[in-house]
Amino acid sequence: MKYENRTIPEGINVSEEHPLKEFFILALGLGAITILVVVMLSLAIGKLVHFIPFSVEQSLASSSFATDIADDVVLSKEQQRIEDYLQQLADELSVAQQLPNDMNIIVHYVDGDTVNAFATLGGNIIIYRGLIELLPHENALAMLLSHEIAHIKQRAPIVSLGRGVAVGLVLASLSGFGDSSVSQQLIGNVGLLTSLTFSRDQEEQADIEALQTLEKYYGHTAGAESLFEALSEGESALNPPKLLSTHPQTEDRLERVGRFNGSTIGAVSYKPLPAFLIKEEAFSR
Amino acid sequence: MNIDIYVFVTLLVLGYVFGRLAEKKHFKSIIEREKKYKDLLTFSERLPPPGMNNTDAELVGGSVVISVDYFKRIVAGLRSIVGGRLTTYESLLERARREAILRMKEAAIDKGAIMVINVKLETSSITKGKGQQIGSVEVYAYGTALSPIAV
Repeated sequence: MKYENRTIPEGINVSEEHPLKEFFILALGLGAITILVVVMLSLAIGKLVHFIPFSVEQSLASSSFATDIADDVVLSKEQQRIEDYLQQLADELSVAQQLPNDMNIIVHYVDGDTVNAFATLGGNIIIYRGLIELLPHENALAMLLSHEIAHIKQRAPIVSLGRGVAVGLVLASLSGFGDSSVSQQLIGNVGLLTSLTFSRDQEEQADIEALQTLEKYYGHTAGAESLFEALSEGESALNPPKLLSTHPQTEDRLERVGRFNGSTIGAVSYKPLPAFLIKEEAFSR
Repeated sequence: MNIDIYVFVTLLVLGYVFGRLAEKKHFKSIIEREKKYKDLLTFSERLPPPGMNNTDAELVGGSVVISVDYFKRIVAGLRSIVGGRLTTYESLLERARREAILRMKEAAIDKGAIMVINVKLETSSITKGKGQQIGSVEVYAYGTALSPIAV
């Protein structure tokens, strides 16, 4: 027997394939699968959520934090008056929007400088003083309220809650297979982008529904654009890039209003805001 | 969230560039030194070949610890979702094994050996149980160095 050490050829244990190629194939493939799963889940939840009765949503809302903020504050007499006025306007708009009978809107007025308003679980709508102050007339306020009521009607809050839970669960279990925390981050970001695109869809639908409501309530949609002008005025920071923002760009929304306004014939008059709202504005400024 | 992405991409690029450079350099050095120590024969055989009776036997060893880079770890993490060859780790372990044998050979040459028999390899991960950390691997090569008895 001869004892010798022959030279072993290279490339037996080491793959000659470029590591970057492997990385891109894996990252793009898994990214595509993740997006597909998230999109399918989101669509399924958007459909299934309508089987959740509104009363269940209301009981969920009683434990959600957003309504807590509004409920904890005891309103002064003046603030109560504003809230009552907003509630009454919202009720009239709900009728115009043909909100189903089992749904009811509860408006909460918050005496804060934040330029914001949002709809949350259980038909709760929260409006900040900061936004109302920027609105020039009732038509713009009605546009705002109709937009939020449309969200309630399309069940947007419970859909986004359902999506958040389901998508979060899937991503958590998917990233649990990989052994690195960073692939989790990667997967998490993919999920965020997808869910944002969906809620922007809901925003666009809500805009259209709100414009139809205004058409029914006032007989025209003029003045709706003032809301978006006020919103972009209140936006101190620069516009986020389109893919990353939840709400459609102001220009897109104004264009949509413009299309509706085209049907308006002749000059229209705006309904002014009630005196106590304007007085409040004068006080706080 | 966005800052996380920048940090992630930066680490990935750093890991790829430096990891790749280090690996190329290391393989070049391994191949060179393997040629240099070609004449020192090493076997996994437990007993010396016939005719190698008049020798001293001594334990020699060489160990190496190599760290995974960020890029390798991410690729392996993605790969472990779908399964298959963890090629980024394969090249890492190949380097570690060959380097450990080379260090063992260097130790044997220092002792004036002409052959190393009963060569064995031990591999261990030295960051076991710390899932969030970048892992590193240790390979230890050891064997019995045979050197002619000085008369």
